[in-house]
Amino acid sequence: MTGRDVFLVCNNVDEPGGVQRWAHHLAGLLAGRGHRVTLVGVTRAGEPHGRPRDVPYAVTVLHERWRPPALGWRPGPGWSRLDVRARLRDRWRTAAMRQGAGRLSELLRAARPGGVVIAAQVWAMEWVRLADTTGLKVIGMSHESYQASRRSSRHRRVREFYADADRMLALTAEDADAWARTGMTNADHMPNPLPLSPAPRADLDARVVACLGRLSHEKGVDMALEAWAEVSAAHPGWRLHVHGSGPQEDALREQARSFGIAGTVEFRGPAADAVAALSRASVFLLPSRQEGLPMSLMEAMACGLPSVAFDCAPGVRELVTDEVDGLLVPPGHTPALAAALERLIRDGDLRREFGAGAAAAVLRFRPEPVLERWERLFALLHRDQFVT
Amino acid sequence: MPQRPDVSVVVIAYDDAARLPRAVGSVLAQSLGGVETIVVDDGSTDGTGRVADRLAAAHPGRVRAVHLPENSGGCGRPRNEGARRARGAYVMFLDSDDVLDRHACLNLFAAAEETGADLVSGRCVRVRPDDPGDRGRAWYPRLYERRTVLDSIRQRPDLLYDTLATNKCYRRDFLTGNGLAFVEDLHYEDLLFSAQAYLAARRIALIPHRVYTWHWQQEAGRGSISSRRDELRNFADRLEIHRRIDAALRAYDAADLKLHKDAKFVNHDLLLYLRELRRRGPRYRRRFLELAAAYMAELDPRVLEIANPMPAIAAFLLGRSDLEGALAAAEYGRSKVPELRAELTERDGRVYWGRLDGRPGHPVLDVTGLGVHTAPLDRVRPDNTLTRLERHGPLVRMAGRVRNPLGRIPPDAQMAAQVEFVDRRHGRRVFRTPAETAHAGDRIEWWAEFAPARLVRPLGFTDPIWDVRLRLTVGRERALTRPRPGDGALPEVTLPVRPRLTRLAGDRLTPYVTEGDYVAFRLTGGRRWQRAAHRIVRYAASTPVGGRLWRRVREAERRMRRRLNSRRTKLAVYNRLLVRLPVRKGTAVFESGLGAHYSGNPRYIYEELRRSSRPVRVFWSYAKTPHGFPEDADLVRRDSWGYYLALARAEFWVDDQGFPSGLRKRPGTTYLQTWHGSAFKRMGFDHPELKLAGPGEQQRFRRMVERFDCFLVRSRHDVRTLARGLGVAPATLLPVGYPRNDPLINGGDPAALAALRRSLDLDGRRVVLYAPTFRAEGDGGAAGRLELPFDPMRFARELGDTHVLLVRPHYLSAVGLPPGARHAVRDVGRLPDVTPLLLLADALVTDYSSIMFDYALLDRPMIFYTPDLAEYAGRARGCYFDLAEHAPGPVLDDEDALLAALADLDGQRVAHAARRRAFAARFGEYDRGIAARAVVERFFDGGGRR
Repeated sequence: MTGRDVFLVCNNVDEPGGVQRWAHHLAGLLAGRGHRVTLVGVTRAGEPHGRPRDVPYAVTVLHERWRPPALGWRPGPGWSRLDVRARLRDRWRTAAMRQGAGRLSELLRAARPGGVVIAAQVWAMEWVRLADTTGLKVIGMSHESYQASRRSSRHRRVREFYADADRMLALTAEDADAWARTGMTNADHMPNPLPLSPAPRADLDARVVACLGRLSHEKGVDMALEAWAEVSAAHPGWRLHVHGSGPQEDALREQARSFGIAGTVEFRGPAADAVAALSRASVFLLPSRQEGLPMSLMEAMACGLPSVAFDCAPGVRELVTDEVDGLLVPPGHTPALAAALERLIRDGDLRREFGAGAAAAVLRFRPEPVLERWERLFALLHRDQFVT
Repeated sequence: MPQRPDVSVVVIAYDDAARLPRAVGSVLAQSLGGVETIVVDDGSTDGTGRVADRLAAAHPGRVRAVHLPENSGGCGRPRNEGARRARGAYVMFLDSDDVLDRHACLNLFAAAEETGADLVSGRCVRVRPDDPGDRGRAWYPRLYERRTVLDSIRQRPDLLYDTLATNKCYRRDFLTGNGLAFVEDLHYEDLLFSAQAYLAARRIALIPHRVYTWHWQQEAGRGSISSRRDELRNFADRLEIHRRIDAALRAYDAADLKLHKDAKFVNHDLLLYLRELRRRGPRYRRRFLELAAAYMAELDPRVLEIANPMPAIAAFLLGRSDLEGALAAAEYGRSKVPELRAELTERDGRVYWGRLDGRPGHPVLDVTGLGVHTAPLDRVRPDNTLTRLERHGPLVRMAGRVRNPLGRIPPDAQMAAQVEFVDRRHGRRVFRTPAETAHAGDRIEWWAEFAPARLVRPLGFTDPIWDVRLRLTVGRERALTRPRPGDGALPEVTLPVRPRLTRLAGDRLTPYVTEGDYVAFRLTGGRRWQRAAHRIVRYAASTPVGGRLWRRVREAERRMRRRLNSRRTKLAVYNRLLVRLPVRKGTAVFESGLGAHYSGNPRYIYEELRRSSRPVRVFWSYAKTPHGFPEDADLVRRDSWGYYLALARAEFWVDDQGFPSGLRKRPGTTYLQTWHGSAFKRMGFDHPELKLAGPGEQQRFRRMVERFDCFLVRSRHDVRTLARGLGVAPATLLPVGYPRNDPLINGGDPAALAALRRSLDLDGRRVVLYAPTFRAEGDGGAAGRLELPFDPMRFARELGDTHVLLVRPHYLSAVGLPPGARHAVRDVGRLPDVTPLLLLADALVTDYSSIMFDYALLDRPMIFYTPDLAEYAGRARGCYFDLAEHAPGPVLDDEDALLAALADLDGQRVAHAARRRAFAARFGEYDRGIAARAVVERFFDGGGRR
């Protein structure tokens, strides 16, 4: 089978976030299969992040800086339609987008038949829609659970901007079904490939619980602290390592102080090397309010960590099987979260049993089967041209 | 296209030249490459064949046209012809008036390839093409919630409900290998074909994606075959198809599925025909009854046990040739508020549907559990029959009878009635005139006399139809009934009216019978120029431009009205305008349970205010009806403009749950939040739901709580749990206990208690109050039904001589009690105030209701009946303490133990005395019997802030 031209378009490709890690990983994997991959960032996140330069795929950016408003203007009912300033700003935005889309069109024009454009995020899709995608198939992706989209403006934007895409990919079958029920008949699902394999195994003797993610409301670190306050008193030797940074950092530190657990919680800043951080822990804690198919959970499982997680998204259920390789807790139920943590803290054998289970279970997401799924999807979309 | 197509879509058409290109277009636009279209023209005479040929010529290789020499009269033959010519690996069927979703073939094909299924089925959506605003309704959506793979129809017998052949994709060698084809000489070939396909398939896949849009219309002339149910042959065909399905079930050795198929027949097929039967003539009805009764005899006798209750009753009565009873059952539940058109009979303590006429009550007819006999009148509407419609000069006399099953409305009830004329298109334009009522046996007679020319003022043209209703008010309850014509035809009487716009629109209301069998009136005019005007208006509305214009005007009007009366508008006006008005000193707005009732802490504070004759002007908010609220207060309906005005200007807000969030409380207003009970379940920010909420929602909640200037607490437990969970500022806590609990300590008013005892007909027997907590996730039925977790009949049998059980469901729920238990079990859900009930009760049975904290003050036996403790407390929400550890009485989970504990109340009293007192001391720490006075003295003396 010949290689295809694959364009992977993200909001940006240099932020240290989950989507960016996924994009670089997938780009590398597809390139390894003989596809010609171009990774496109709509804009830059800030100063270029230290990515290896000799990658087997091209990396490019449409806008060095994006200054117009992030989202399009949607006048409400009544007088707001007459807002001249908003109207002008929206015009400015549209004009700037046209330029970026023009650059994207140039890239796409070079593609040979059988090519694919993948918009990894709905914001990036706004550019793909404006670009000339003749002869290519367009795939839009949603890297969060349906519920999470539902609670933000992305629900409406996905429905609007992905409506004409050839395929819309959620992370799990359950999320895809939810999108299908709302009328997105192009909905399908595609899991994230496991970002590391083989991974170093944690020895599960360190008295450390690890929590890894952006310090923002949806990641629920505040609830982790609440639960930790209940656990910590009985297990003074244990530490909670919070890796990550974000807008709530100060509030969380203050919260830890007010709970009297500042001594047992360590805010360790963004983890440059997630795997190293994870392999030093014995339990992984995922207190998120919203998730997709969390990469950090995948990595923790690959390191052989047992996890305690709020059952907040289909992706979490898909990864963790309750009482087999981790403990799932009703979302928001902090006393139950504390009780689950305590069980794993008390019982080293249980940690080892779940840890081994996790390392085995997560292999379902190793790259080969996920790549096979991508290939089948490409073939299905181009069936008229690629039937054997 | 050199290779074999993946999917062949067979499009059948008969005399549908106009719509065929749209159907074929939807196939050509498929996102899956390699789809071929086979158009089969079923002997059309309107040029459909030429259109098909043109399409084939325009898309060579992708579209083929097949012509049948003569019309086959059905869908079977053309589909078979098309399938025979198909070359694709998979086959699908499409009707010329419908369309496929753009990704239908791709989704079905991908699912088939991925799962290896012989048959893949997707969601079908029914849309009315004549209604541009219709977004469609999915066909049996419960089958298409998740993608599912079945190895046999037995894993999901429910699938038999989806009898469409069109929303599916069949592996072609599966069809040929099993010899599957449509029957050609009967209607409803889909039913048999889909059943056979389900049975033959070795694997079935279901996808939640919409694949098929079914354009569904009720044309006056030629409807599609499936909706032309009025021809008797159709019904005969349907029965024949069902007989053949029965044969297929036997042939595939699947007799076990017959029961499910029969249930589907009763729930779906039979109901369809029954609901249309009122419009049919006597000959049709007779013949229908014969045909139906014959097939009833072939059904599995167990079907009546598993079918839905009302269709089962209808089927059962058809078997007895009781057509009227069957119709009443079939029509019950057709409208949003079901209408009771049948008698109810009480026999051996159970309630049965219809007259039993001396026969023993059959279990199928037993409707005790449905609670029809006790349901509030606005949830089950009694049937109304028009008996008289006469005109004497300018006056019209109207009379009728309302059914009163089992004396549901007692003779001494406070009753009032009004006749209403309602503009059907607007619904809000109503003209009312009072009516008289009187009890007459098992009916309530009503009559009214009025001058229609003065009462009813139509505009003309915009309001051609007027419905007539009788609004019946019985105590706190209201029933809106619609009269049906009595026996025989409607009298030839017209009501003279004067339209406001022009007499061209008509000058009289002429009665007619609607499709639902109700009496309604049409605005008509007898003169030639009036008829001409009507014709012109009708024509103008039927042109595309006129229709569009008319719809726009109505849309705009509706939008405007909605916007003006929306809560958002009211909040905006409140926050920007009303709060600028000066505060009226000495006024207060009281509300309890969001306006549900006059009870709780606000009530007892109000009573203290009145007792001490403090000059405070009080507005009481009511949600639905002002009945039962104090007459010496100003009553305002919740969410009305008057309500917001009163709130804006009040010096005090007093409530026990929450005034609308988003209302700004001005600095001059003092908000007394008295709350409605101590907490066992986690509240506020301790509740997982609020913890999970986004920052915006959490902020809204915080703002709502920040408005409280005072929060009543009963104990340090409240301070630690409830107040902390809600985020109430510690400075605002007022530790005086609950005003509503004052009587529990002082003993209450003996005269009022004696009166209540008499009205509940309580004798010397022990009184047990059963008050469970509210469960929102009940298993449906009428909104919030309380299913008793024990058998009330057993209670009545075993303890009825010595005990009386008062059942108090949460105010949002209702309970259906068997009349056989009447002497020992009473429903007290309609009494708004629970405090006197607590005083009357010798013992309390509850589960997790906060009533436990109040009742503990009385130091009487308490029993906790919690069959679902583990599930309730463990997973779902979480509780503040371990019930089993602290409960001041036994925590039981089986009925035998419950009855044994109730039998020995004195033993309970002794055994748990110490725990009970500890419980009362812990949770009722601050209750001293003077809460109401303390609150009133603190806030309402000197009329200022504390």
